[in-house]
Amino acid sequence: MKWEGYRSSTYDELIRSDGQPWPAARKLVDYLASLSDRDLAERQLAADLAARVMGITFTVYSEGRNVDRTLPFDVIPRVIARSEWRRTEAGLRQRVHALNLFIGDIYGEQKIIKDRVFPRSLLKDSVNFRPQCVGVKPPLGVWAHICGSDLVRDGDGTLYALEDNLRIPSGVSYMIQNRAVAKRVFPELFETTAILPVDDYPAQLYDTLAALSPRPGEPPVIALLTPGIYNSAYFEHCYLAQSMGIELVEGSDLFVDDDDCCYMRTVHGPQRVDVIYRRVDDLFLDPECFNPDSTLGVRGLVRAWRAGKVALANAPGAGVADDKVVFAFVPKMIKYYLGEEAILPNVPSYLCATKRDRDYVLANIGQLVVKPANESGGYGMLIGPRANKRQHEQFRKLIAANPRNYMAQPTLALSTAPILTERGPSARHLDLRPFVLSRGDIYVTTGGLTRVAMTKGSLVVNSSQGGGAKDTWIVDLEDEG
Amino acid sequence: MLSRVAESLYWFSRYLRRAENTARLLGVNSQLQLDLPRSVRFAWQPLLDTLGAAAAFRELHKDAATVVAENDVVRFLLLDERNPSSMLSSLKSARDGLRSIRDVLPPELWERVNGMFLWVSENGERTLARRYRMDLINRVVDDSLTVSGMLITNVSHDIGFQFLRLGTALEQADMTTRLIDAGGSGLIRPRAAEELDAYQAMQWMSVLRSLAAYQMYRRHVRQRVSPTQALQFLLQNAEFPRSVRYCLVSVQNTLTHMPARSALDDALRGTLALASEADTRALVESGPRALMDRIQIGLGELHEAIGEAYFRAT
Repeated sequence: MKWEGYRSSTYDELIRSDGQPWPAARKLVDYLASLSDRDLAERQLAADLAARVMGITFTVYSEGRNVDRTLPFDVIPRVIARSEWRRTEAGLRQRVHALNLFIGDIYGEQKIIKDRVFPRSLLKDSVNFRPQCVGVKPPLGVWAHICGSDLVRDGDGTLYALEDNLRIPSGVSYMIQNRAVAKRVFPELFETTAILPVDDYPAQLYDTLAALSPRPGEPPVIALLTPGIYNSAYFEHCYLAQSMGIELVEGSDLFVDDDDCCYMRTVHGPQRVDVIYRRVDDLFLDPECFNPDSTLGVRGLVRAWRAGKVALANAPGAGVADDKVVFAFVPKMIKYYLGEEAILPNVPSYLCATKRDRDYVLANIGQLVVKPANESGGYGMLIGPRANKRQHEQFRKLIAANPRNYMAQPTLALSTAPILTERGPSARHLDLRPFVLSRGDIYVTTGGLTRVAMTKGSLVVNSSQGGGAKDTWIVDLEDEG
Repeated sequence: MLSRVAESLYWFSRYLRRAENTARLLGVNSQLQLDLPRSVRFAWQPLLDTLGAAAAFRELHKDAATVVAENDVVRFLLLDERNPSSMLSSLKSARDGLRSIRDVLPPELWERVNGMFLWVSENGERTLARRYRMDLINRVVDDSLTVSGMLITNVSHDIGFQFLRLGTALEQADMTTRLIDAGGSGLIRPRAAEELDAYQAMQWMSVLRSLAAYQMYRRHVRQRVSPTQALQFLLQNAEFPRSVRYCLVSVQNTLTHMPARSALDDALRGTLALASEADTRALVESGPRALMDRIQIGLGELHEAIGEAYFRAT
């Protein structure tokens, strides 16, 4: 493969602006250069085939019979030096630690509001604040056991936190499967490069869940609650349940009895469940407590949780911190709860709820990315520089009508990495989603899921919007000699 | 094991066996029809009755003549999705059920079942004509048996496997009683009454063939096919896996590996006695229909009892 023509308009994860590879990527870049185009194309084909055979799919709604699609996978890995990763990891620990303290505080004493660090008015209008959770003390004081934080790199190389997914973050199974595919495709590189492994995650997740059991000392009964086969992440639910050896259950498999314990319906009769890794959204979790029409959840589940008879991961209500407006306060939370400066900076944010910020957003909407506070999956947002005047005007009206629901960020020159195309390597924008597990201590995945916009110039990396994935290598240069 | 998963396994094996039996039945009768002289009329109507599809068929073919046409019946029984027990509907149900329990069975099983379903739904119509019909039928029979083989050989014989066995045994017992009934009632109608005896033997031969039982019958009985012997073989033989008695004994053995439920044992004991204690000579005289109906009711009760005991217990 020829690197000569490769150009990126911004910071590139593999190739520096002088055309030389970053030190951690040197072996990879040299190796790719030694392969013929045909050889590489064959490896891409082998990767696609492996993904299909391994059944790596996500589900697309309303495509008739063809429900499962494979996630596009690019064979060229994204490389991060371990020395840089250590700092990122520390930043993530700090961040998630503070977020959990914040959630606990909000449903407890609300000291951060009383001390006027976080405005009460923002809480009042938060759609993810659950009054039903006030006063609950979940085990270990942890609310968001599993967090997926999205990180992006700007043109100057700074790594920013873009958002924290504290409700039901998905994608971790792709991280593990992408590595399995990469090992099949580039076995030679895994022999000569010190690439840190990622496959510890299911065991770590199991330990995280097991630590929550209300019956310590006994083997915990753990289940993953899925909305079912039509959910876009059903593959991941199956994969995680299988690799942890826990039950994959649907709402109708569970019931809460008069003793406030949660049971599975089994052929041996009811079996008590200690911990539920729920992949069903808060509002559908319990018709007794939230949406009364939900058929995906379990009647009485929140009652059982409040009584401490079953643990839920993530805890209901954890999404209060998964709000793009609350996000802007994370550096202040870190300072407030931990007395530290944030290691990972936030992408600068303008809150439309405050007049000064709102005026700035309305005046500069053409240069900003405007996001609704509570959408995920890249829905409902405006990318100012890519939109026309009519769309700008439309968003000005939306903001004026409901300022609390909008925030804006500068349009970052998202970093790129090469993907393999028919015409050789070509730069595409990407982000990184590491996963963070909180129990007594905090575990961070080695790297995370790199999501890449497969369309040239596109800034949207979500799989539901045509994004793909890459394997992510944390390379230890000191270990290579 | 989750009740939902157990129930899906049970239904999966029922639908798989149903698809195979339906394919086999249509295959044998398509062949039989070719062997008959012109003086003998082959009636397709009894096939609809055998598979319990007569009313649904009438509903969709109101204008048809009283004598039903071969193509209509064959399409309805093999490919029509409006017929909930057609071969294609059974394959679809098996596949949809398997989808939600993919995590408990080997992936190649899903691939085979999914592949079979997709092939039949894409190529079924094209292969319906007499000339290609056996290709369609053989493919479904072969693939079903391959899947059964995968289940027996590659899946742990744990509690979940017991539900697969139960489903297969109940479905087969049910289908065998239906075919015994058909054998006694007459697919073949010779114009002259004196030819009846000769064609009756032919009819029982085709019933045996539909259950892959012809060769086993010859080895076991060592006589030419007679109604009494054929009926006895299919109802009471202790060694042929598609006989009613064998299937019920298999249910009995399976239950010893499962949490005990006395209601189930009671339902089973009565039905097993009906099948194994019947006087087959008298049955040929009176016609097997009344007894087959009673056995089918017993199987229905057994099916309900399994549901009560394991699927809806809590």
